[in-house]
Amino acid sequence: MILSLLINILSSTTGKIGFFLLTFMFLISVFALLSNPLDFGTRIWNNPIVWSDNPKNAPPSWSVLFSQDAGPGHRVFDLYNPIQSVQYQNTFETTYSVDFDYNGNKPPTFISLSVENLKYWGTPPMLYVTVDRPDGKSLKIYHHVFKSPRVNQEVPINRYIDEPLRIYLSGDSSVANNMSDFLYTEFDVQMQADKIAGNIQNIIFGVPNIYEKDDLNGLEGRYKFTLLFVSKNKLDSVDHLRLVMGGSHYGLMGTDSIGRDLARGLIFGFPVALTIGLLTSILTTAIGTMAGILSGYSGGKTDIVIQRSCDILSNIPLLPLLLFLAFILGQKLWVVMVVMIAFGWPGLTIIIRSMVLQLRSGNLIEASISIGASKWYIMTRHIFPQIAPFVIAQMIFFTPAAILAEAGLSFLGLGDPSIPTWGQILDQGFRTGAVYIGYWWWVIPPGVLIVITALAFVLLALAMERVVDPRLRISGR
Amino acid sequence: MSIAKSLAIRAITLIGVLFSVLVIVAITLGATGFSERMLTAIVNEEVRGLRQQLVQTIRDTNEIEQVIEERRVFLEESYGLNQSWYSRLPETIARVLILDLGEARTLKTGNGSRDVVDLIAERLPRTMFLMTTATVITALIGLSLGVKLATKVGSRLDRTVSILSATSNALPAWWAGIMFILLTYLILDKFGIRIFPPGGMYSTPPPETLIPRILDFTWHALLPIITMVLISAGSWIYVIRTMVMNTAQEDFVNLARAKGLPERKVMWSHILRVAAPPILTGLILSLTSSIGGAILTETVFNWPGMGRLYYDAILAVDESVMVALTFIFTLLYITARFILDLLYLIVDPRVRY
Repeated sequence: MILSLLINILSSTTGKIGFFLLTFMFLISVFALLSNPLDFGTRIWNNPIVWSDNPKNAPPSWSVLFSQDAGPGHRVFDLYNPIQSVQYQNTFETTYSVDFDYNGNKPPTFISLSVENLKYWGTPPMLYVTVDRPDGKSLKIYHHVFKSPRVNQEVPINRYIDEPLRIYLSGDSSVANNMSDFLYTEFDVQMQADKIAGNIQNIIFGVPNIYEKDDLNGLEGRYKFTLLFVSKNKLDSVDHLRLVMGGSHYGLMGTDSIGRDLARGLIFGFPVALTIGLLTSILTTAIGTMAGILSGYSGGKTDIVIQRSCDILSNIPLLPLLLFLAFILGQKLWVVMVVMIAFGWPGLTIIIRSMVLQLRSGNLIEASISIGASKWYIMTRHIFPQIAPFVIAQMIFFTPAAILAEAGLSFLGLGDPSIPTWGQILDQGFRTGAVYIGYWWWVIPPGVLIVITALAFVLLALAMERVVDPRLRISGR
Repeated sequence: MSIAKSLAIRAITLIGVLFSVLVIVAITLGATGFSERMLTAIVNEEVRGLRQQLVQTIRDTNEIEQVIEERRVFLEESYGLNQSWYSRLPETIARVLILDLGEARTLKTGNGSRDVVDLIAERLPRTMFLMTTATVITALIGLSLGVKLATKVGSRLDRTVSILSATSNALPAWWAGIMFILLTYLILDKFGIRIFPPGGMYSTPPPETLIPRILDFTWHALLPIITMVLISAGSWIYVIRTMVMNTAQEDFVNLARAKGLPERKVMWSHILRVAAPPILTGLILSLTSSIGGAILTETVFNWPGMGRLYYDAILAVDESVMVALTFIFTLLYITARFILDLLYLIVDPRVRY
């Protein structure tokens, strides 16, 4: 029965599109669940440390592909292995370095440095950052003395294990001082402190304009960043250094205001949306169908009670109540789903009951009763199979409603904070004012995904409608 | 007799709806301890007011404390704070029913009143304006286009509209609204023209004189209304087209044509007359979703109606405003529903006999 239904659906264009979209979304969901931990929301998505190295509010990389003055891409240099280690008397110097070309167009939007898993014996080590520029000049950017051990702390001292030390070089005052020195000694330029503070990347990657000394021109060529780890003990070590050249655009889907990679949130939204939609609609239709068959076939008091409660429940304006309950009972996804199920089934029950009433008066049921079939047997073996295709169609039809309701709720700020959904991403974008300042990549993609997901089910339902139109179905038997 | 009976059944059902909503709200508030906190806040507020009064008239602090303590016990008793929450249920429901809705925590009306009833009285007309205007326009478009399409069933236009109307089921109005705002922003950014305001009901500051004020209001209302109409028109057109099409195949329509009646008359007084009840049923069913839609659309367009108030109440963590709004939204729905039921009685003679 299911197979013939599927063949019928696939015979129409809308059915084909819907089926294709749905398959595609299932594949992405499987990918999302395999490539992310299940507690993605709390562990990654809502954890600012994960995203701290990303540029904020950056548009997707492909969107600047054709623009003339595209800014730099986002570059992360992870340094694990030193290029050399030398000993001068009683100090040990370990050198890490990275070099790359710069086109002289626009410098990185920011530069930051992270240090992870530092281990030392006694005297705190130091870290120097210098850059060798294409014009032969060498520029000291920064030096850092790691925190001293506490009194009586046991060696070796381990630091920055769970949370790396992150130094935002672009906003550091000592870096600004170094820049000021550099400009004065190399170019005889004196720049005001606040001007330097906003121009650190421009100074590192540029030279002062000959005519307008306050302006900086980009300097094209190869740049080499050197990170020097200086310690007093041979065993002192750092596991991981990371140098980030902030981009003006990022990844497939850009970032939001705290630097979250929107692509990852959007991908994780697939399994969440499908689960919300399918689980809610399956349970709703299951309850609705059972109540409908029971009400229609039993008649009498059962019928009256079920029908009266249906009348009332199906008339309750869902969204205001859903908002209220989600607010009071706490923002949990299962609460929302339970409420949607509790108020969703009566609509179906009313329709199923009227179908069952027609079936009951048919010859088949009459014959079954006359040969002594039990009530349960008739309901499950004779009535249910006849309305099953319609029930499946209703299930598909109800799925987008559930997805849209959850999205709307999330959009109003009542989403479950531990599980990222498309509606929540949209809500955060809207609240940050993304629409008023034109951060389109933050609001269009989640909305498009909500619409496409809902559309896939609507198209499938449309294709099924022709196959299982209840009137045709019943009169045909 | 029969009309009265069916109307009475409808009325009882709808009152049942209202009552169930109230019971659900009251039980949730009670069982989660919210109502206790709300009532305690009210008592504390009154006690504080009393203390300020007394400090000016009575010197003796002991006496003040004693009076205040007596007052507090009295208030706690009268609000039922000394009883369990379930024994307070009838009282809670009764208070909402007589619109004794209390005060909002931070939200205020334009005049600075914090009374929830004032707040709702200020916001309700704005929501009604938006919803009724959008519904009337949608109905007009739906009727004229639906009827036209029904005469061209199977044509390219008909298929396109059918698909589009199905698609609009998947398109939430609030997201469409966001897209429109973004679009007006992008146009403003590219060409420097502001076609529509980004939201709100008036410009800041609002125009003083009447005519510019009305124009400003219309300018602000246009985009929300367009959004609501665009999203709901599809399903209206489709419902009306299908109902008209089904009716048009009946024998009595052929008879009317055979009599030589002009096509217009056949359509409007024969086909539509019969197709009206099922069309109305479809509209009744869409009513719940349009109430929910109002909350989202107003939020998106920053339209200061009841829907936006709901959003503001969520942001301000104000339960008493939310209770009041849930009640008023349900009341609004029930009223609209009852009016439609009355209309149904008028258009469908079968219900009467």
